Amino acid sequence: MTLLDFARGPGLQWSLIILIAGVLWRLGGTILLNARKDLSRPRHKGTLTDGLKVIATRSLPAHQFEKRIRFQHFSGYAWHIALFISVLFFAPHIFFFESLLGFGWPGLPNGIILATAAIAVAILIALLIRRASHPVQRLISNADDYISILLVIAPLVTGILAFAHVGARYPTLLAVHLLSVEAMFVWFPFGKLMHAALTFPSRFQAGASYGRKGVRA
Amino acid sequence: MSTSPASLKDFRERLATLGKQPESTAKLSDEERVRRAGNSFLRELTNGMAVDLETCIHCGMCAEACHFYEATQDERYTPAHKFDPLRRYYRREMSPMRWLFRPFTRKVDANDLREWQVLVYDACTGCGRCDMMCPMGINISELINVVRNGIASAGLAPKEIQALQDEQQNKNSLFGVGADKLRELIGQLKSRQIVIPLDKAKADVLVLTTAVDVLLFNDALAALAKIMNRSGANWTLSSAAFEAANMGLISGDTAAEAKAIRRIVEQAKAVGAKTVVIAESGHAYQALRWEGAEDTGAELPFEVLAASEFVAREFDAGRLKLKKAENGRSVSYHDPCRLGRHGGVYEEPRRLLDAMGIERRETDSSKRENYCCGGGCSEYVIARAAPLRQKAFEIKKREFDKAAADAVVTSCSNCRVNLMIGAENARWEKPIDSLMVTVAANLTD
Repeated sequence: MTLLDFARGPGLQWSLIILIAGVLWRLGGTILLNARKDLSRPRHKGTLTDGLKVIATRSLPAHQFEKRIRFQHFSGYAWHIALFISVLFFAPHIFFFESLLGFGWPGLPNGIILATAAIAVAILIALLIRRASHPVQRLISNADDYISILLVIAPLVTGILAFAHVGARYPTLLAVHLLSVEAMFVWFPFGKLMHAALTFPSRFQAGASYGRKGVRA
Repeated sequence: MSTSPASLKDFRERLATLGKQPESTAKLSDEERVRRAGNSFLRELTNGMAVDLETCIHCGMCAEACHFYEATQDERYTPAHKFDPLRRYYRREMSPMRWLFRPFTRKVDANDLREWQVLVYDACTGCGRCDMMCPMGINISELINVVRNGIASAGLAPKEIQALQDEQQNKNSLFGVGADKLRELIGQLKSRQIVIPLDKAKADVLVLTTAVDVLLFNDALAALAKIMNRSGANWTLSSAAFEAANMGLISGDTAAEAKAIRRIVEQAKAVGAKTVVIAESGHAYQALRWEGAEDTGAELPFEVLAASEFVAREFDAGRLKLKKAENGRSVSYHDPCRLGRHGGVYEEPRRLLDAMGIERRETDSSKRENYCCGGGCSEYVIARAAPLRQKAFEIKKREFDKAAADAVVTSCSNCRVNLMIGAENARWEKPIDSLMVTVAANLTD
């Protein structure tokens, strides 16, 4: 079995199993902890709407706070969007999704994909440097923060190298790219990448709990 | 009867004696403290909080919402750092991934509890401004409150707060104000034709006041009495349960919090009160209005209203009439965090000010984004935190100066006393008034 065979076969299979089982385990284990029922009379009824609203509105910072967090706010948006463009609109990726889902969609020109991937890498490196140097972020960061960011950078960098055929033979580059994606899948349920799944319940409950007091969260 | 510099001086001297009292839990071993804190974390932590702990991405944006961080740029005051002991406990003992996290997560020890005592009591007023900032929607102030609970369980609450909590729990008084002092004040007010019905057998409305009002803000208590009488409500104050302040909520001792709540609930039931009105106190409102039912295990058999809510309701119903204030006065209303952000009472105070024709000048940050007074949740009683508190006060001062109103009005005795102390320290001349006093001065027949 070549490295590419491994990456395309058991590597991908097992990383997906760990990803799905791990996410279900972590979500389930968290939600099944002690629940507390609110017994006080709500000022405002509409928990569902309040929760859903905050899922949407918390993507935008409050006006008062905007000027202080502008860099983090926009850089966060920028790299997430750039990453999703690279993942979802690169033609070879679309072929892969089509093989799984049975349908595909139009891709973007390779030049645009390359540029967005490079932008995402540049922003992530800037954020990594900020995390290591900004007193607040340095204090509250742990190994997971650095590992997670490196594991998101890795598929982008290996993808660019594979696309450009730089550094090794193409099959090797492709295998390394796939393995880097699989490493991210494996890490996902154990580290902070889980926020992708947890942000929504977290925001929802903020909206619901403040909402019942009549406060817009 | 108004608050004079002399009575503020007397109150400040009283505050200074709090830290000199012997500590009630000084003999606990470090192992016992850690065990107690852990049990408290285990007891208090809910699945909702677990979701929040799991979701934090350590972005640090919450620091930008914290007045203590803004005032000092000290990274230790980052809200996400303040709940770190709870995060570590959760990862080691409760997380579904604890088998993996435990070897990589340092255990919380007694030194951590001592270090975090300063971070969660001196440098956090539980104002919840960070809750409004977090892009993940994490209820940060709730998590920090659980850390407070753990530290209080470990017998490590600051000695001033512990002393007040012990006094309330053991003597049913605060700052030495028990039923006798209340009766004395009621007698003094009666000689000024302000009648406070004490210990009526039956009443529709039970009013709660605070020791701070009895000692320092007689004007606010007298004003509330005047308003209640004018509204025609059948009301009473109870000598057995007149204190609205809840030191259990402040220290983090949930048993003490529940005990104080039960005392009020029993008294309200005894007099048949349908409504309990809480004098101007933010945390007391939060304790009874939003946590009382949880503390007693059942929905409360009466409605709980902040004084401003009650007065606005009476005004809306036509039972209270307000005249336009004289002199074209302008004010900036300071939202007490636990009435506003944690309580939902934003509009009633503003509606009353508008009804009196008082020009409102909002500060840049108000309502959900309002800055804390700097000494909320009784942080103002902690002597060693005075310099830090003053720095946070300066933020408020800058905002008030920019709004350039004639006075500041608030509806919380804690905020009022802290703003007055801050103003006195800074030699800042702005009047800090009570909303109830302002309303009472503009009542008409």
